[in-house]
Amino acid sequence: MSNDRADFSVPLFIRGQLIEDNWIEFGGRGGSATFRAPDILQYAEQLPLRNPGEMADLYQVSFEEILDLLEQLGQALHFDTNTHVQEAFEAGLAASNYPAAMLRASYEMLPSAFSRDAVREIAEQRIGVDYLEGWVEQTLHDGRQLRIRAMGARALHIPAGNGGLVSAVTIIRNVITRSDAIIKAPSNDPLTAMAIVRTLHDIAPDHPVTRHLTVAYWKGGDTQLESMLYRPEHIEKIVAWGGFASVKHITQFIQPGLELISLDPKRSTTIIGPEAFASEENMQEVAARAACDIGVANQEACASARVIYVLSGIDAQGINNINRLGELIYAKLMGMPEYVSCKPKTFDRELAEYMDATRLDDTFYRIIGGKDLEGAVIVSQFDEPVDYPDSLKEELRDLLPLYGAQRLTSLGYACSPSVAMPQDAIEPLRRMCKWIVEETCAPDKVFPVWEAQ
Amino acid sequence: MADQLETRARQLMDDPIALFDQSITQMHMIDRAELESMQRSAMSIRFQEHYESVEVLRTLADRLGVTGLHQFNDVVPLFFPHTAFKSYPAALLDKKRFDLMTKWLNKQTSYDLSELDVADCGSVDEWIDRLDEQTPLEVITSSGTTGTISLIPKSKRGARYNMQLWKMFLFQNFGEEPTEEQLNPVVDVIWPNHYKGKLGHLRVGQMIKTEFTGGDESRFHALYNDPIDTDLMFLASKLRAAASRGELDRLEIDPKLLARKDEFEAMQARRPAEMAAFFDTITRQLAGKKIFMTSAYPLMYDMARNGLEQGFKAGFAPDSAILTGGGTKGFELPDNFMEVIKDFLGVDTIQEGYGMSEISAFHWACEKGHYHVQPWIIPFLLDPETSEPLPREGVVTGRAAFYDVFNESHWGGIISGDEITIDWSAPCECGLKSVHIHHDIMRYSEKEGIEDDRISCSATQQVQNEAIEFMKEFEV
Repeated sequence: MSNDRADFSVPLFIRGQLIEDNWIEFGGRGGSATFRAPDILQYAEQLPLRNPGEMADLYQVSFEEILDLLEQLGQALHFDTNTHVQEAFEAGLAASNYPAAMLRASYEMLPSAFSRDAVREIAEQRIGVDYLEGWVEQTLHDGRQLRIRAMGARALHIPAGNGGLVSAVTIIRNVITRSDAIIKAPSNDPLTAMAIVRTLHDIAPDHPVTRHLTVAYWKGGDTQLESMLYRPEHIEKIVAWGGFASVKHITQFIQPGLELISLDPKRSTTIIGPEAFASEENMQEVAARAACDIGVANQEACASARVIYVLSGIDAQGINNINRLGELIYAKLMGMPEYVSCKPKTFDRELAEYMDATRLDDTFYRIIGGKDLEGAVIVSQFDEPVDYPDSLKEELRDLLPLYGAQRLTSLGYACSPSVAMPQDAIEPLRRMCKWIVEETCAPDKVFPVWEAQ
Repeated sequence: MADQLETRARQLMDDPIALFDQSITQMHMIDRAELESMQRSAMSIRFQEHYESVEVLRTLADRLGVTGLHQFNDVVPLFFPHTAFKSYPAALLDKKRFDLMTKWLNKQTSYDLSELDVADCGSVDEWIDRLDEQTPLEVITSSGTTGTISLIPKSKRGARYNMQLWKMFLFQNFGEEPTEEQLNPVVDVIWPNHYKGKLGHLRVGQMIKTEFTGGDESRFHALYNDPIDTDLMFLASKLRAAASRGELDRLEIDPKLLARKDEFEAMQARRPAEMAAFFDTITRQLAGKKIFMTSAYPLMYDMARNGLEQGFKAGFAPDSAILTGGGTKGFELPDNFMEVIKDFLGVDTIQEGYGMSEISAFHWACEKGHYHVQPWIIPFLLDPETSEPLPREGVVTGRAAFYDVFNESHWGGIISGDEITIDWSAPCECGLKSVHIHHDIMRYSEKEGIEDDRISCSATQQVQNEAIEFMKEFEV
């Protein structure tokens, strides 16, 4: 296959070794950009860590040293000086739907993501550094003494292509848990993970952390490769972000010894109480905050609010209020800085067609804006909540989780999550660890079964 | 002269069969310029009528400031997206707000539905039955995977008229005037599908049952005797939508539908026996007879392969009429699939056609494999991205759109999801003068690798099973 037509190259990085050979070409999502990557089948046998015992070197490094290394890595990831990051940005621009200003903002967050304070907080809050650094003692009521330690595993990561940060989080989680990672780069963010590991290689080529990172691209669903690689003798955990089809595809490989940590498809919703309409000032603030939940990252994130439920009432005044709020939210959306929210590069055709069809009849929905495909607010004009039980209006915090809610946050903060929180109603970091128990049972304290009468 | 044009345009709109003396040859040998002036006139008259009677069209025309149509391309801004017929809130069906559903449908159709009695209407099927009983409509549905179903307000009259057209195209030959036998054929009908339902192709089956058998309904042989239940299909659509959002745990099943769980399970259990009986009928009882059979490519291929594997051949009379079409619906078929079908059926030719639920025409393929556009349909090619009209000359590929001057019950301008190629300038090698569409037709969604929203007729069985299996997990 011809190589010079590709818009960019995605090399292969296997535990410190950079491979730029045996190129084959791939089309990007939506057929926009093409790129080339080494033919993964030729390297399939090198991808898994053959012997899990080789992870022992990670335990020669203290947590403090890991923090030092990541801090140093973060400082080396500044957009203006790091050519790997610049390349990743250019590739992401060609391969994804993010406008330049927005995508660039996600890369500018990289140094702080790797800072000592940020990484320590994740490790402490989500696992506890003591469990990562050594054996933590507990005594159970039957008298047995436990020593528990959180150890790493051989993991494969399939991160989402939502800008630069997901790849960074993936690497941070892997390093904290002292795991061995194979990261499958997403086609809509093909170079960010690569940029981070190459930078790490530039500053610490022989460090155990560097030598337990592999970044590769293959077309998701390449069954020939995946049936060789996704096996318990090679990998113990698969951490998969993504949509229904891709996660469902992976489940066929799951078996005893190979666990799936699924960061599933999800939708986000904002609920606004009647207080919004108490004063003009309230309404303005609510509109500005709601616009953030909707607009940040142009709705590419799973945290972006797709639906907003407003307790407006359904009498004429209520409908009037909600229409006015819709107009205010639209105005705030349009006024946001370009790196936060802007007119998307492409607009889903099906959605545009639905909007066209809906505009023909304003009985049920009013569409505010959207004619220029810049984004729109659709306000329901009738009293049937869409797909949503009425009973959820009270006691939201205790009730919503029963209906699948995973994260509840203040209005306006949907798209400003912290990495140091549980995610998707699970603790992915804890699940990435193997929780090992070493126990001591003294016969004078714990009943000796062999003395049973 | 102008009066005469208008009279003929009116006939093209109301009764094209009479206009062309019941002859398919005349329909497709009319001079192109003559036909086009008739079409322009008919389009203009239909627009004025629908402007008065179809509220959604009036809203759009007023918004765009369109008061009349003169040239073909004048109609392009007024085309509806194919989403128009599912633009109602899905919650209305969920909550059985058939009063509001009627209000929505009333704006889509030229008929007055304001008197429809929806009291105690307990299911989508019941609501459509009421429309059948009380109005000129015969609504057809198509199911999707986004949690809704399309509801297209077709008319009873249009549907029956279409059957006459089918008969003409199935049994006449291009280039020959029709014989008496061709005009009134009596055949056994093989229907490898469900007996009835509200889906477009199943509505057709009910008419074929009487129209093609000389009124002898025992000559209609359906694969499955159970109807397709619209509410079950609606559940299947919601099921797929919920699965793709990871929200299966929050899907609510209508208790009324759940109460019929045993009925649906029994239906599933009957199928293998029905399948065996069906094969027995077509391979023994109907062997050597002149028959009519139609279904989509994948279904027909599956049947043929199954039959051949079991050592059966149907061996129908060679002058039987076999019709297929509808694309391969994303199913992968082997290159020789048509040969396998012919081998099983014992026929030399299989007719093919291209159509869609939203327009009242099936475009038959000629011996060259080109689909010839019916004279009451005005075809358009649009830029797939901008929906601007492409030139009407030379060989052009684009998004298919159609304006149907015959269709009375709803606005006839529709943009499809299909990529087609039309050779506007060179006449077809088969000798017919009508505009022809190349054989290769692709859905844009397939081309872009996007999962198609529609649950095609071929997948009906599969999604129905998904819904029944899902219901089995619940206690009644």
